[in-house]
Amino acid sequence: MITLKNDNLEFRFPEVHRDARCTIEFQRTLRIPDDDRDYPLPPGLGRFPLRHIDDFARRLPERWRRRGGVIMPMHQAEAMWISFGGYSGYPFAVKIATGKICAISGNPWMNHLNKDPKDYVVLPEQPWLDGYCVEKGVIRQFVAMPLGKGYTAEEQLTGAAQHGGLQIVVYPMKRKRYKQLMARATVGMGRSDELANVLYCSAPEPMGLSPGGRMRQEIYDDPYGLDAWDQKHSRRCFVTIANSTQWMAITGERPPTVPPSALEYTEAGLPWFEWYGGDVAAIDGARKLEKLASVAQLGKKKGERPLPENESVDVTQVVGLSAGGATLDREFTSDEILRS
Amino acid sequence: MTHFGKSIRSRREHLHLDDKRFSLRQVALRIGIEPAYLSKIERGEVSPPSEATTVRLAHELGEDPDVLLALAGKVSGDLQNIIRKRPKLFAELIRQLKEAPDHALLHVVREVRDGEW
Repeated sequence: MITLKNDNLEFRFPEVHRDARCTIEFQRTLRIPDDDRDYPLPPGLGRFPLRHIDDFARRLPERWRRRGGVIMPMHQAEAMWISFGGYSGYPFAVKIATGKICAISGNPWMNHLNKDPKDYVVLPEQPWLDGYCVEKGVIRQFVAMPLGKGYTAEEQLTGAAQHGGLQIVVYPMKRKRYKQLMARATVGMGRSDELANVLYCSAPEPMGLSPGGRMRQEIYDDPYGLDAWDQKHSRRCFVTIANSTQWMAITGERPPTVPPSALEYTEAGLPWFEWYGGDVAAIDGARKLEKLASVAQLGKKKGERPLPENESVDVTQVVGLSAGGATLDREFTSDEILRS
Repeated sequence: MTHFGKSIRSRREHLHLDDKRFSLRQVALRIGIEPAYLSKIERGEVSPPSEATTVRLAHELGEDPDVLLALAGKVSGDLQNIIRKRPKLFAELIRQLKEAPDHALLHVVREVRDGEW
């Protein structure tokens, strides 16, 4: 089952194993400059709010309702990263797509796992995913853009603005494999209404995700092999992304504020992050994703300026995080930002 | 020492065994309070802190915010708002479910619906 708790998607597979549970949340962050330089990991600035799409069914176009899942607000040109957690050592394979284009392989959505090219990440090895896997050790940041303008990965690869949003499917490790893994472990698994009517009638486009600036982040290979995953038991979720105006009209809530720019954040002396994943090998970038134009590159070609505040920054303060550490925290509270 | 203070002290000291950043001083600074105040909270010399501070403390220590708030004798503001909006319905629901075992409660937890896509 998938439940929603404190803006976290909680995936549980009690029919497989009582330990088979994990959470996925979407972190607000600053947008790294889209200037073809490689940046370290930006901070988390708190979770995006998530709501059941069914709670607002009467205010939504039919095709949004039909997909089910949850709805989340993002400002245009805002960035986001995905945080995986909440597991008690139970491994999972997770596929992430934007506009039904796999963020790891660049291939169209498939309801099963693939090895060649690999189209999933493995938990708990992969703590975060910040964007599209474009090169070995480099991703292009997830940046929200309106569907229909040609910037999203979906539009660049398919020529159509059909789906938008984010799609997730989670597969637990097979129970038998997990028990074998546990038996082999000699040490602990330490790694541990008016406006709404307008929305309804005009059937607006939701937001999609586009490739932004380059960031150093490895996507780790599967250390268990495709056979380890229980593909008979999976949970899927469609995350519809609404822009801030749509979000207010649909939910009546204000969306989170616009995050600081990368320049403001860096000049305030706040840290960026690097992740050291240990001995797990990283996979190569996906050829299809490598060819995508970033939002800034495409904007230049179109004679548009889609990204405000895109100045390059010199990052000097980088905090190293590792799997052996007691915390994987790269999240800041708003109080911490204000105090800086 | 209150149950709340004892609980957070125990958790923080456990984390501190592996990570020096969980010293009383560093935890206090990260959650935006004075170390002396956190020390008093842990020793039960003052009442548990505000909801916002308790939630920050829960995130810092990897604890569930609702559990820590309950230990502090509080109910989170969002839950209070939910009940205030439909007090009769939710009061009835909570009373009906108060004796239900955990596995039965999981069956009334609302699932995120998957659709056609």
